Amino acid sequence: MTEIKEGDVLLQVEGLTTYFFTEAGIVKAVEDVSYDVRKGESVGLVGESGSGKTVSALSVMRIVPKPGRILQGRVNYAGEDLLMKSEEEMRKIRGSRIAMIFQDPTSSLNPVYSVETQLTEIMRQHQDLTREEAKDRARKLLELVGIPEAEKRLSEYPHQFSGGMKQRICIARALALEPDLLFGDEPTTNLDVTIQAQVLELLKKLQKDLHMSLVMITHDMGIIADMTQRVVVLYAGRVAEVSRTYDLYKHPRHPYTEALLAAVPRLDKRKVLEVIPGNIPNLIDPPSGCRFHPRCKYATEICKEKVPQLEDSGDGHLVACHHWRELSLRAEE
Amino acid sequence: MFMVGVLFFVAAFSNVLAKYPARPDPAAFTPFYEGDTGAPPSWKYPFGTTALGTDVYSEIIHGSIWTIYVAVGVTAITMALAIVTGITAGYFGKYVDDVIMRVAEVFLVFPSLLLILVFARIFQLSVSATYWDVLGMKIPIGLTMVVLIIAIFGWAGDARLVRGEVLRVRELEFIQAERALGASRVRILFRHIFPNVLSPIIVVATLTMASAVLIEAGVSFLGFGDPNTVTWGRILYENFQNIGTLWWAEVFPGLAVFWTVLGFNLMGDGLADALNPRLRE
Repeated sequence: MTEIKEGDVLLQVEGLTTYFFTEAGIVKAVEDVSYDVRKGESVGLVGESGSGKTVSALSVMRIVPKPGRILQGRVNYAGEDLLMKSEEEMRKIRGSRIAMIFQDPTSSLNPVYSVETQLTEIMRQHQDLTREEAKDRARKLLELVGIPEAEKRLSEYPHQFSGGMKQRICIARALALEPDLLFGDEPTTNLDVTIQAQVLELLKKLQKDLHMSLVMITHDMGIIADMTQRVVVLYAGRVAEVSRTYDLYKHPRHPYTEALLAAVPRLDKRKVLEVIPGNIPNLIDPPSGCRFHPRCKYATEICKEKVPQLEDSGDGHLVACHHWRELSLRAEE
Repeated sequence: MFMVGVLFFVAAFSNVLAKYPARPDPAAFTPFYEGDTGAPPSWKYPFGTTALGTDVYSEIIHGSIWTIYVAVGVTAITMALAIVTGITAGYFGKYVDDVIMRVAEVFLVFPSLLLILVFARIFQLSVSATYWDVLGMKIPIGLTMVVLIIAIFGWAGDARLVRGEVLRVRELEFIQAERALGASRVRILFRHIFPNVLSPIIVVATLTMASAVLIEAGVSFLGFGDPNTVTWGRILYENFQNIGTLWWAEVFPGLAVFWTVLGFNLMGDGLADALNPRLRE
């Protein structure tokens, strides 16, 4: 294990391909997805539902549910290929070095155990701690995520907490062993807006304080703008564009990104929201060539035939579109 | 709860409550002869006496122990089988699931009462000893066989239920969250899935007790029970020929069975409500 310094690449995903072998056919959920995450950085994974955001994160942790299988690719984490690890080695990495928070805090906690049990369980599983030490750390964790009266609330059960509080507990649990990398799988989608802002603030603060890398999975462009330094735009299981967040909003290079940005309501301008015509394609039988071509207003013949590769359009801004050179896409001012 | 409580109370204090000791050798029909054969209910014999002069009241009291033995025994075995098979099938899925569930279905399509009778008779004929002596307690072999047979034919339905519950819980998000935290399979199964399927299991266990008591009474009533143990079903069996005249020797053991089965059923319903957080205030 090499020492990873701030700014070095911590996670490098290359050509990751995960399919689901269902009875209806093979769902090509994630295909040839590559991106990297540096130490201390936050990266956004954006896309519509079914674009492969979550599956690509689950693949990194190797917890893709059945009937999904990772077929190809490399997941380089701090110099080691996670896809080559044994299940037992992987189990030790999960939770302690890579952690994840899920979308629905209400169902992410086991209803039959107290908060203390849930928090200490993970610590005692990965480390040799006495009950007292673990409890002490659990209390500190609750304080860290801003739950008042930590001592008293440790003995309470999940249903005694509100949604926002539960998500804080989930965050505390994910942070219990100070992982280097945290996946947030739409951690705020099920919370109401004010709570959402609080939880995001908390995540931002914790990420800074603990020098963690954060991968935010979301479809909310506002969260991306607020939280991340770089963005990976996924469409139908493939990477459409990778860019620094600021550049993405200023100069989107992929027609899908442009359409996505145009569909975000804005407070400062009255305008009719544009919708992206059509639906996300059926991933059992995805469109040929560029998967976005049936919905793309710039599509030409080549888009139907050839799969566009990710190309560097300058300054590390990667885009997978045949026409990025000719198009000068409109950025929302 | 109260009705079942009464049953356990009666069983626990059977030696105090009963007026006469249990029959030393039931097979020999040694009666408690005080000369009162076929006496109607009175202060001396609250539930009357049988044609042989045994006190129905005392017999019922002594029988309560065996009722509990049957209820608890059958349920323990049934639930152990159902939980192990159900959880295995539900959690591992695929062909493990297929195999276990097909076996369960085979057990479900048996006309179980008939088979229980057949097996009960086979065991009855093949067993020579009457008791196992376990720490000074006399455990009747014949009754134990009946318990085993009922359990073997009863686990399949419950295994299905357990499997269904496991399938439901397995898909809940916290299971995936636990995996993401690095919990092992065994840990997820026993620490996280099992406690979450426990409440329906408890409810079904109670209902299983009720049906076990009922089936055992039925088996004994038909004369296929343990000839060395006076269970309620056996009292019914011994006396049903005289039902026209000595009705009390049938009605009171019947009421005892009724009371117990109803009690277990009500307890099951009560537990279902108590364990369901949605119905709680």
